Amino acid sequence: MLDRMITHSAFLELVDELAGKRRIIGPVARGERFFYEEVERAGALDLAFNYCVYGPRAFLFPPTETLFTFQQIEGRFAAEAVVEDRPTALVGVHPCDINAIRLLDRVFEKDHPDEHYLSRRRNTLIIGLDCPRPCTDGIFCSDMKTNEATEGFDVMLFPLGAVQEVGASGKGGGGDPQAGPSVRADEPPAAPSQYGVVFGTPTGREWLLYSHKSTVPTAADERALEQYHRSKAAAFRRAIKTPSEDLPALLDRSYDSLLWEATARRCYSCGSCNLSCPTCYCFNIYDELDMTLAAGERKREWDGCQLPKFAEVAGPHNFRAKAASRLRHRIYRKAKWVREQTDLPGCVGCARCDRACTAKISSVEIYNQLAEEA
Amino acid sequence: MAMTTQATPPTAGGSLYIPTPARIRAIEDLTEFERLFELEFLDGHPLGHDPGQFVQVSVLGIGECPISICSSPTRQETFELCIRRVGNVTNHLHTLEPGAIVGIRGPLGHGFDVSEMHGKDVLIVAGGLGLAPVRSLIQYILDERSRFGRFDLLYGAREPKEILFKDDLTEWRESADVDFHVTVDRPDEQWRGKSGVVTTLFKGLPKLDPAETMVVIVGPPIMFKFVVLEVLARRIPQHSIYCSLERRMKCGIGKCGHCQANNVYVCMDGPVFKYGRLKAMREALE
Repeated sequence: MLDRMITHSAFLELVDELAGKRRIIGPVARGERFFYEEVERAGALDLAFNYCVYGPRAFLFPPTETLFTFQQIEGRFAAEAVVEDRPTALVGVHPCDINAIRLLDRVFEKDHPDEHYLSRRRNTLIIGLDCPRPCTDGIFCSDMKTNEATEGFDVMLFPLGAVQEVGASGKGGGGDPQAGPSVRADEPPAAPSQYGVVFGTPTGREWLLYSHKSTVPTAADERALEQYHRSKAAAFRRAIKTPSEDLPALLDRSYDSLLWEATARRCYSCGSCNLSCPTCYCFNIYDELDMTLAAGERKREWDGCQLPKFAEVAGPHNFRAKAASRLRHRIYRKAKWVREQTDLPGCVGCARCDRACTAKISSVEIYNQLAEEA
Repeated sequence: MAMTTQATPPTAGGSLYIPTPARIRAIEDLTEFERLFELEFLDGHPLGHDPGQFVQVSVLGIGECPISICSSPTRQETFELCIRRVGNVTNHLHTLEPGAIVGIRGPLGHGFDVSEMHGKDVLIVAGGLGLAPVRSLIQYILDERSRFGRFDLLYGAREPKEILFKDDLTEWRESADVDFHVTVDRPDEQWRGKSGVVTTLFKGLPKLDPAETMVVIVGPPIMFKFVVLEVLARRIPQHSIYCSLERRMKCGIGKCGHCQANNVYVCMDGPVFKYGRLKAMREALE
């Protein structure tokens, strides 16, 4: 069920108004690729983007951040927390990345709530943009059931409006005018003329309704949404032979598989998979002193379980000294352990890890090879 | 005292990561590499820990590291940490004098479930630096002696010069409250005691009652494997065997991922685990 309809141009006007109150983060074209960046005006956004190279994780959980500042005064210390609360809007977040943010929310809320993350998150409005068809090859979001988002957004946009036909799109049945924007790498993608809107939170509803720029959905709009969902269901194909709910059991049978060692022979332990992953949240904590040596900051920075020293202890002893055990650790986290700890998917199938991998290690290939063995 | 419940760390100024200032009251050299630090919070509040829990110790400007608490909550308002100098933070701690202020976060993690040991015989086997985390439990049992049955304590060190807590050892040897034995792997000319690995001390043990004995094993992984074999051979069930794990911990509150062993965050579910659980954690003792 749709809550409202809004045209593309009216939506951009709304975002421009929002820019007076919040920092706007959204997809921006850089050459042929797209990145989440801060923009001054909605016109700088490219909402017909296929996918962003990185997810929006960095705007909620920055690569480095100060946890607190401290000062040594006569042998004692004074510390002051650094908690950011800058109002922000993430505009044009695909379902995979919304599901990734839901996981980060759960992790940072769980047991010991982490104010550094949660304060940023509370002050962030999330405007989702649904995907009518796969954004690129190699993704497995439909396997992870994360190509749709049921919560985790304030407003979700469904690109329903008839799009200008961009020639005969090679894949994905581009003949269907209701199916949303056709995206081709060799031509600038077209933005849809209008969106069906679903509210996720009262904040989202309030924001969209206050300016009277949206309209009440008609019966035809609802039919268009149904057609959109049918077309979408047909467009996404499964890539992993094992259903995601059975992956934990598959991994249980695969702990001693030779495949870890065989695949990890190619691994450079560079951590690119961790860096590009929207659900990775491991971090390191370290201190920085200023020039006086009496004051400084305690900071945290992203860390990665694939880096060789991640599980090293004093001694020294390394509990995962081999690349094979680190690769196995990452795959187990993504498909089993994080799910067991949070009841949410630990992997959203965006395949950023696979695309980022210098050695072309593929998660899909690993799951499918394990399924053949088991 | 609420056992096995995890104290929520104080949230200073909205951040879980800000440590609470504590003063070093006393420092004692234990060996060439280990020192015992007695600490008290500046505001005087007790640490309020369970035996087996740990704290994060900060030297601001240098960093933070996890250290197990080696004194019992029954004993004093202060608390003690046995610190081996091995990294940046611990090396810096060894340069400090009494009166210096350090930062503490904790107590963190889950310690020993002492209520489960009440009324039971207890056998503690410690190897090397593993004596530090179990010392909190040893002191607790000695202070609450009537609540426990027979108490045996076995300790193995590599060399005489590596033996920790020598004053305690003298006290335990003379005490009627504990049957204590120590051995070293490599004796020197002055050593008058037993020699050999810690499992050799099992020969002197009385027969253990499998239904009435709780066993605690803390030491390096290689020692753990041999000791657990001795204990299992005496028909002690897996749920009656405890172990404490060492891991690198950055946050200490189940987020940063560094201490993860298979599906377990050691800082949250541990560092103390039952053997039955450890078996399913293949990385725990590798």
